[in-house]
Parts: sequence; C-alpha cells; structure tokens
Amino acid sequence: MEPPKIWREKRGKYLAMGVECSDCMTKQFPFTENCTKCGSKNVKKYKLATTGKVLYFSTVTQTTDEMMVCTPYLIAIIELADGIKVTGQIVDCNLSEAKEGMNVRMVFRVLARNGSEGLIRYGYKFAPI
Amino acid sequence: MVKHNVFIIGTGITSFGENYENGASQLASQALTSAIENSKITKESIQSTFIGSLVSGSNSQPSIGANCLRESNIITPHVRIEAGNASGAAAFHQAYLGILSGVYDCLAVVGVEKLSDFVNVGLVERILSSTIDYKWEFEMGATLTSLYAILTKAHMREFQTTMEQLAAVPAKNHKNGVNNPNAQFRKEITIERFLNAKRIADPIGKFDPATHCDGSASVILASEEFILQNKDINSKVPILGSSYASDSLALHHRNSLTELNASKTAAATAYKMADIKPEKINVAEVHDSYPIGEILAIEDLGFFKKGEGGKAVEEGLTEQNSQVSINTSGGLKARGDPFGATGIAQIIEIVKQMQGEAGKRQVSSINYGLAQNVMGTGALTHVNILGEEEVKK
Repeated sequence: MEPPKIWREKRGKYLAMGVECSDCMTKQFPFTENCTKCGSKNVKKYKLATTGKVLYFSTVTQTTDEMMVCTPYLIAIIELADGIKVTGQIVDCNLSEAKEGMNVRMVFRVLARNGSEGLIRYGYKFAPI
Repeated sequence: MVKHNVFIIGTGITSFGENYENGASQLASQALTSAIENSKITKESIQSTFIGSLVSGSNSQPSIGANCLRESNIITPHVRIEAGNASGAAAFHQAYLGILSGVYDCLAVVGVEKLSDFVNVGLVERILSSTIDYKWEFEMGATLTSLYAILTKAHMREFQTTMEQLAAVPAKNHKNGVNNPNAQFRKEITIERFLNAKRIADPIGKFDPATHCDGSASVILASEEFILQNKDINSKVPILGSSYASDSLALHHRNSLTELNASKTAAATAYKMADIKPEKINVAEVHDSYPIGEILAIEDLGFFKKGEGGKAVEEGLTEQNSQVSINTSGGLKARGDPFGATGIAQIIEIVKQMQGEAGKRQVSSINYGLAQNVMGTGALTHVNILGEEEVKK
C-alpha cells in the first residue's frame, strides 16, 4: 500500500469523481484525460450518482491476505442511477438477503488495512436502501 | 490473403503439476531442449527465443531467459513476453510474426510458470489481480474467481444454463485428462462431486477452477525455406491463422457479459487468415480455467450458437470424436494451469492431433485444429489455427 498511490486516487475512490464529456455528454468512470467514447479532451469533473441497483453479485470466500479478514463478503457490479457501472462490495446486508435488482446507496468504508499499524485504504461500497 | 509460410517443426513439454525439485528456468530448459531434440535441428539454428510467462517463479526474476538458455547451453537473443494467462500464446504469436516477416527462419518459443512455491494464502490471487482491473475491480474486493462467477451468473440468467451443464465441462475434461501422461490430474470426477462441493464464489465451486501449478512447454517454429534446407526435419505442421484481440479489463465497462468479444474478434481474423469456417474445426483446445470459460469459448469461436454451449456440453457434443472434440488434453482443468506454459501446451496438443500422434486422445478425422488462450476475464484472447501435418513419415 503506497501513500502516493492512495493520494493520487482519492478523487475516484474517496469522492467517486468521474468525468463528463462536454462534447458528446457521455458520463464515465474512472477519471480519464480523454473521453472514452469520442476521444475529446474537453472533459469536466463529474460526481457519480449515489444510488443504483445490483446487476450481478457473488459471495467471495477466497481472496488475498489483506482481504481475508472480511470474508465471506459480497462483491457486485452496480448500475448507478446515471447509467455508469462500477464494481464494489455490498455491506450492511446479510449474505442470504442480497438479490439481483436490489436498490443500493453508495457508502464510504474501509477497503483494506495494511496490518494492525499500517495504512488504511478507504473507498466506496454499497448498502441496501 | 496471408502467405502460409510458418510451421511448427518440434515440440517439448514437461509434466504439469507440483514439481518441487525444479525451478522455473530448469523447467523451461527441459521443455526447450526436448523441443530442439524433437525437431531434429541443431541448437545453433535457433536465431532467437521468445519466452511467455506471467511471473515465472518466486525468485523475483521474471526474466528467466538468460538462465534458461545458459542451462540449455544455447546462445541466442531472448525476450520475455507477458500477457497474463495468455502469455504463452502471446509469445507464440510474436515468434510467428518474426518468421512471417522474413527476419527469422527458425525460432524457439517457451512458455513457463512455477506456481507451487506460492503457498501463502492469497498470493496467487494477488498475482492474478494483474489480469483484471487492479484499481477498480481487485482493490474494490473482486477476485478473478468472483468475476468469473458473475460471468457464470450472467449466462445462467440469459440462457437458463444449469449447474449440471456447467459441471459437465470439468467432468468431461477430467475424463479426457486420464489419457494425457503430462496432465496433473489423471482421474475422472463425477458431475455430482462438482455439484456438491463447497462454493468459493457462488456459483463457482471448490473443484471448478483449474489448478495453478508448475510446468513448461516449448515449440520450434521454422520457415518453408529453412525446412527445405534441413533434410532431417521430418514433420511440419502449418500455422494457418494466428490472431489476438482485446477488450476492456473491467467487466463493468463491457456491454455484454454473455460473450467474450475479444474471443469473437480474434477468431474472426484467424478464420479469415486460414480461409475456413468454424465448422471445419474438429479439434480445439480452449481456455477452461472456469467451466463458463469453455462454454463461452465454444459459442464465441462459432462451434455452437450463442446460449447453446451449456446444452452442447451436456449432450456430449464436445467429447472426443463428437461434433467438435474440445480439450482432448484434459484442458486447463485436468492438465493443470501454469499460466505461461498453458498457451503453448494447448498448441502442442493440437500439433499432436494434426500429426496423428495423440495416442488414446487422437481424434479420428483430422482437418483443422484451433487453440484459444484467454487473459483474465477476456481482456485479451489469442486464437491460433493449425492445419494437418504436411510431411509424412
């Protein structure tokens, strides 16, 4: 876990900031210098919608060492209200209660800890509404 | 129309599995020297060596070319090519282009991986995180397995693919693997055993993924002119099509989760190069790292209609000597999956089939063969088409 990397990605992971193309109006995430649809450099910051629904999900039981403490957890592809799709965990939800099509809201949580004294990586997750 | 001037003249492969005695460079050296021996050429004929591997081994020296070649007593330039799980096929493709361009006449390709050293929890998952979107999938909590679980669910939802159909894939591949002396697992497993196993990322069960193991595979490529000048060469299998295509790393950036667009695009180009239709393929090695991988492959490569892959496997249409024999080697599932070596091992199986030397795994009518090697969840796919052996012994 590298401090410069965490700092660099704060706009996307902490604030859920993407971009909106001023030419073709496409909203996209994560932040890019060029519009991924029309290639225009004329892009401006865009804050993602904070609600959405679960498209697909799975329960993870085998993962990397830093995430093992969280298992079993739910990972999902979420379609936000503005049409942008992102991957994130579903929290505050019993494993058996997760459903495709379920409405969720974006919440700010700990993603992983680098040991008991190391850095903490934060980012968005999703909770049922 | 691409000139068909590149041939496979020799193959070498180690047994796949847990090989604690040998390091990555030793495995690579064993495969390489055995391929040179098999091709009946001198070591000095090889002009360059292309090595495909994702991490090679645990020794923080992924570029193992220098050691591998020194241990093989060969002096050639070498380059390592990394393309995730498709590193083997990627190295193969670059060598193919090298000969096609006319710059080289004889090249060696080696695929290698040494994964049994990674015994700590989560290390292989971390290695595999490089094949998915590291920042926006892996760091958010996704693993390669959980993303394949989502691909599986998408197919189940759209086409009513059943758990029984999915389990039929590894069951069939384990049955094929029994006849492969190099396979890690040479034992049949019943469909019930797959269905009753603990889920590791539902709907994917504990026995569904291919195992990450050790192994190396190597092929020697040569031009028509080189073969004419070297009378000892007694076998040449033509490469009729070789192509690759890419897609977004992250699943959430794709429009469809019921197909791998990279596989479709790469296959379309390879079929065009070979000037054949998918129906002409009667033996194929496809990337069955998870059961859904094989189902998506046989649909995307054009062997079966979209949505009918699961049914086709269940009805036995992909068994040896059926409509199209899929993964006669046992696939990644039974052979084991040392990432970089897998792509070359797939090509070797097709070469053996084209030579009529696949033993009990031999398909009865040889026509054209295909190998498909996928990185991650389909961010990159390599497709190679081989024709029947041209020099009879």
